[in-house]
Amino acid sequence: MAKENLPSFSKGMFSGVILDELVFPYPKMKEEEAEDLKMMQDSFRKFAEDHIDGQKIDEEEKYPDGLIDQLKELGFMGLSVPEEYDGFGLSATAYTKMFELFGGINPSVAITLGAHQSIGYKGLVLYGNEEQKKKYLPKLASGEMLAAYCLTEPGAGSDAAGIKTKAVRDEENGVYILNGSKIWITNGGVADFFTVFAKEEMPDKDGKMTEKISAFLVTRDMGGITSGKEEHKLGLKGSSTTEVFFEDVKVPFENLLGERGKGFKIAMNVLNNGRLGLAGGSIGALKVVMKEAIAHIRQRKQFRKTLSEFEMIKEKVAQMTVDLFATESMIYLTSGLVDRGDVDYSLESAMCKIRATEVTWHGVNECLQMVGGLGFMKEYPYQRYLRDGRVNMIFEGTNEILRMFTALAGMHERGQYLRKIGTALKGPIKGFGVLTDYATQWLKGRVSTERIRDVHPELAAAKVQFETWAKNMHFSAERALIHVGKNIIYREMIQERLANAAIDLYAMIATISRVDTMITEKGAENCSVEIKLCNTFADQAWRRVRRNLLMVDSNNDREMREIADFIVDQEKYPFETI
Amino acid sequence: MNIAVCVKQTPDTETRVKLTDDQKAVNESDINFILNPYDEFAVEEALKLRETNGGEVTIISLGPDRVKSAIRSALAMGADKAIHLVADKNPSDPNAVAGALAEELKTGNYDLILLGKQAIDDDHAQLPSLLGEKLGLPAVTVVVKLDINGDQVTAEREIDGAHEIVTCNLPAVIGAQRGLNEPRYASLKGIMKAKKIPIEEKPAALAADQLEIESFNYPPEKSAGKIVGDSADAVPELLRLLHEEAKVI
Ligand SMILES: Cc1cc2nc3c(=O)[nH]c(=O)nc-3n(C[C@H](O)[C@H](O)[C@H](O)COP(=O)(O)OP(=O)(O)OC[C@H]3O[C@@H](n4cnc5c(N)ncnc54)[C@H](O)[C@@H]3O)c2cc1C
Repeated sequence: MAKENLPSFSKGMFSGVILDELVFPYPKMKEEEAEDLKMMQDSFRKFAEDHIDGQKIDEEEKYPDGLIDQLKELGFMGLSVPEEYDGFGLSATAYTKMFELFGGINPSVAITLGAHQSIGYKGLVLYGNEEQKKKYLPKLASGEMLAAYCLTEPGAGSDAAGIKTKAVRDEENGVYILNGSKIWITNGGVADFFTVFAKEEMPDKDGKMTEKISAFLVTRDMGGITSGKEEHKLGLKGSSTTEVFFEDVKVPFENLLGERGKGFKIAMNVLNNGRLGLAGGSIGALKVVMKEAIAHIRQRKQFRKTLSEFEMIKEKVAQMTVDLFATESMIYLTSGLVDRGDVDYSLESAMCKIRATEVTWHGVNECLQMVGGLGFMKEYPYQRYLRDGRVNMIFEGTNEILRMFTALAGMHERGQYLRKIGTALKGPIKGFGVLTDYATQWLKGRVSTERIRDVHPELAAAKVQFETWAKNMHFSAERALIHVGKNIIYREMIQERLANAAIDLYAMIATISRVDTMITEKGAENCSVEIKLCNTFADQAWRRVRRNLLMVDSNNDREMREIADFIVDQEKYPFETI
Repeated sequence: MNIAVCVKQTPDTETRVKLTDDQKAVNESDINFILNPYDEFAVEEALKLRETNGGEVTIISLGPDRVKSAIRSALAMGADKAIHLVADKNPSDPNAVAGALAEELKTGNYDLILLGKQAIDDDHAQLPSLLGEKLGLPAVTVVVKLDINGDQVTAEREIDGAHEIVTCNLPAVIGAQRGLNEPRYASLKGIMKAKKIPIEEKPAALAADQLEIESFNYPPEKSAGKIVGDSADAVPELLRLLHEEAKVI
């Protein structure tokens, strides 16, 4: 695993520190990799034109025979396997761009490929030992083995720590005996290689036996593994989703992944990593649907004008463009952070996943609206992309859970810090350093306005808005922490607002950095549209941030909770008009 | 079999062409360049022949530095070697291009020279015949089927409403038409391997263009369509309009 030395940009932002060196200049792919990427994209595009028919896959709920085999032969299963294990070792940026293409062409195929390599074998890449990697990665890269990621169980979805699958050590035979079942496993019906999370009893540091989660590399040929029937789903119909049962599966000790008892961390880190691929796939889909819709509104006439001439249609086109531009800026800023290899990007990748899946959902929905009744018809792709994209807000961490994660992980360090100050105040000498540190930061936050480096004058106003509202976000988070204290973990509506503010702020700085870097390279006169997009987004975003932050302090959360409790208690909507 | 495939880099078929201010050239700034689709048939045919007969496939392309990416695409499909004939632009005169290519081809001792029947950018469709002429070799173009037996070539070419079957001996020049084969997709392995193959650079021995482009024009805007009627009764009027107004029949 790459070491993570530098703190996360967003965690810093929650703490009132803007680590602008992490986000400026906007990262750029190496020229050589960009060339390779273009060829890989061309190859997939050509292949897809001839062999991938989205509508047919959707109707038949399966892939045409041989499709997956052809994808294997072409090498699309080995994108994130390092070159020394016969893969292609793409950077996070190139990998995400590939998924943008897959997701645009066919979200089903994208999820089959993604479950295999974004999460299925990613644990092995990140945590496997040399022997394990040598044994499995070449086969996974060639597609000889297809992988799945097995975390979710009937009783444990969002609360993944509640899994019941058990691994019992049989010391005599050197194997774990694995029992349990996992649901809704992508590639469940077709995979031969499973990264499985299960609980085992192990001594804690006081020697007491406790249940902890460990991760295992399990292959179908170990025996005792069966797949349930294929689920019928709203979308992603070509992809396999099944229950997977493990019955007395004998997993050799050497197939333990990472350390015993560290499985939960592995599970979460794999997802942190996988989320960027999902974010990329999402916006790829929106781009494709936009293209269709734009072609339609250019030629469809009503009231003797093309639809594109009406202002409410223009608003839709502009809004989805602004949002897409900002989201794309976040995604490839974040993939650049991943590629640096020395920064914590867990929050950023969660924020990208939230924003990308929602911008896509709204955008596709607006495209469907723009084309009217035609959007509702099966022979057009709009409804299919809408259905296919729906689950993106649910899996790899629901957007609710990821908002909690963003806010709580963002505030965590601050919370630690405040606690330290608490201690520091008790023992003034020992904690002196901490206190002055904190005090200077606090002061800096108050008096200085030029917190981040200068940007091109065209973007200066957006930058000031970012600085102002980033600072306010920090103060809001801090006030919330001081007011609610530990109860912050239950105040999800506050978390949600802080997370939304953080997402908007991160999107703002990403967009500013992208356009500023572009201006440096091309000159402002060649970036006029991008400047407009950036400034429009920043203007919309800070207003949302302001609203969210105001509502941290002044809201009707109590009434909302009471209404919900009342209704749930009634078990239905109980009102009638008189 | 020692095979040369001459390839050209052309704008993607989806390009929205923009002209330079003086209208004498196409503005290249936002163009996505690809390997000319007809040349892909040529590369595929070469690879298939190599698979059955052994030998080597050499890619040759003439043009500015950017054409290297088209060469890489051909290498990624599986070609063995590549030569880049460096020029500061792609000349608009096919005769000049054929001259420079012929100079290079003469030095290579090739049994077979394959290329697309035309490039999709300026659509001259001249090169196969010009190369045949300059090299003193038989040239068959618009070929949809190719059989090679020893040094006997049997090529089936498309002509108006029929196929013509031509035989000749190797060495020969063959211009590939759509339908000759299904070009393979570059595999990721192929792409990685292609990166490691050195592209030999040589200056293109170009004679001066004898063909000068006066100007490019955009096609006229399409005028609005007209609905003549919605039943068989409208057919005579439709015929009259097609004949007298649109002048297409
Ligand atoms: C098509 C598909 C493919 C999948 N593929 C895989 C796979 O390959 N591997 C795998 O392991 N899993 C997979 N899953 C499972 C997926 O990850 C889970 O569905 C997801 O984590 C949510 O869990 P759940 O469905 O049990 O919902 P629940 O956890 O029951 O949540 C229901 C709702 O409550 C919300 N909620 C839950 N807790 C809280 C809270 N504390 N605060 C606020 N809101 C909360 C959630 O956000 C959600 O809106 C897949 C699911 C689908 C539909």
